[in-house]
Amino acid sequence: MKLEGKAKMLRIHFGEDDKWQNKPLYEAIVIKCRELDIAGATVFRGIEGYGASTLIHKRHLLRSADRPIMISVIDTEEKIRNLIPALDEMVDEGLIAMSEVEVIRYVHQNGVRSEV
Amino acid sequence: MLTPGPAKKVGVYVAEDQQFHGTAAYAAILDFLFFHGVSGATVTRGIAGFGADHHLHTTRLVDLAVRLPVKVEFIETEAKVEELLPKLQEMVGTGLIEVQDTTIVKPAEKNRKRAASARPALKQEGKAKMMRIYIGENDKWNGKPLHESIVHGLRAHDIAGVTVYRGILGYGANRRIHKDAALSLSHDRPILLSIVDTEEKLRAFIPVLDQMVQQGLVVLSDVDVIKYTHNYEQADRREMQT
Repeated sequence: MKLEGKAKMLRIHFGEDDKWQNKPLYEAIVIKCRELDIAGATVFRGIEGYGASTLIHKRHLLRSADRPIMISVIDTEEKIRNLIPALDEMVDEGLIAMSEVEVIRYVHQNGVRSEV
Repeated sequence: MLTPGPAKKVGVYVAEDQQFHGTAAYAAILDFLFFHGVSGATVTRGIAGFGADHHLHTTRLVDLAVRLPVKVEFIETEAKVEELLPKLQEMVGTGLIEVQDTTIVKPAEKNRKRAASARPALKQEGKAKMMRIYIGENDKWNGKPLHESIVHGLRAHDIAGVTVYRGILGYGANRRIHKDAALSLSHDRPILLSIVDTEEKLRAFIPVLDQMVQQGLVVLSDVDVIKYTHNYEQADRREMQT
């Protein structure tokens, strides 16, 4: 896989408790990205935040957490545009932002064990 | 900063258990005033009262004690009050807001000792680059975790700052899913290093990265920097401690 020069970065923000077909939404999105042959996706969990609903998402001892989740995806504009319709369907309440990035380095070693 | 002379006194009455977007309304109002630069505000809790619904709320009855009246009071210039009122009206819900004329005889002063030592924060704005490096938590360089080595390398290159994030799930160039499995011993979770500095300094660091990062992704993007720093004296002192 080759990726260099100008590319797009997509950031998807939503809550940890969001589901897609009974699976955590963030897992579903990563799987979708792999299906669409996107170069990579990384999921981050925030510790506090608020969003469209202006409810503060924060770890709470007694309540469920629903902390903020951010997925960052980087690939060519074409591939990213390909992903957006799928995301439109999956992400009910959330924010999707796209920005421009320049890829300096994207490598993987051959012969590395590939496992799931 | 208030000056002696005419001003407005605003009282906002809410119930103690009243909510605004998931937090207590009086706390939300106090936060709103604080972050909009109001010179001071006081919250007082009544011991009994009644409002538009004509229910008596009093500490004498245990079951009604939670709906005690709370008053948020502050004094500001007329212009400032006008600016704040629309949002306050939204936040107060079913409560009441009153504004009355008042005269400031003597404004409150900041603690003199603190005011003398705290110079205004420096604000720097401008264009810069953000570099993001995606690697794995188990990646090593010279026997040490790669992300730690990169942080040391950045410090040695006098780069302004770096933050390391640990992801919970992801996959990259080798199509292997990195996941935080509770029972597995290996925690090869994704790591993101985010660095902001001038383009020149970041480009100078790329050859070093080329040596260190065996597998991973490095991207650059444009950012606008809006930065607040302490005054230099304090910053120097911090430097000396580390």
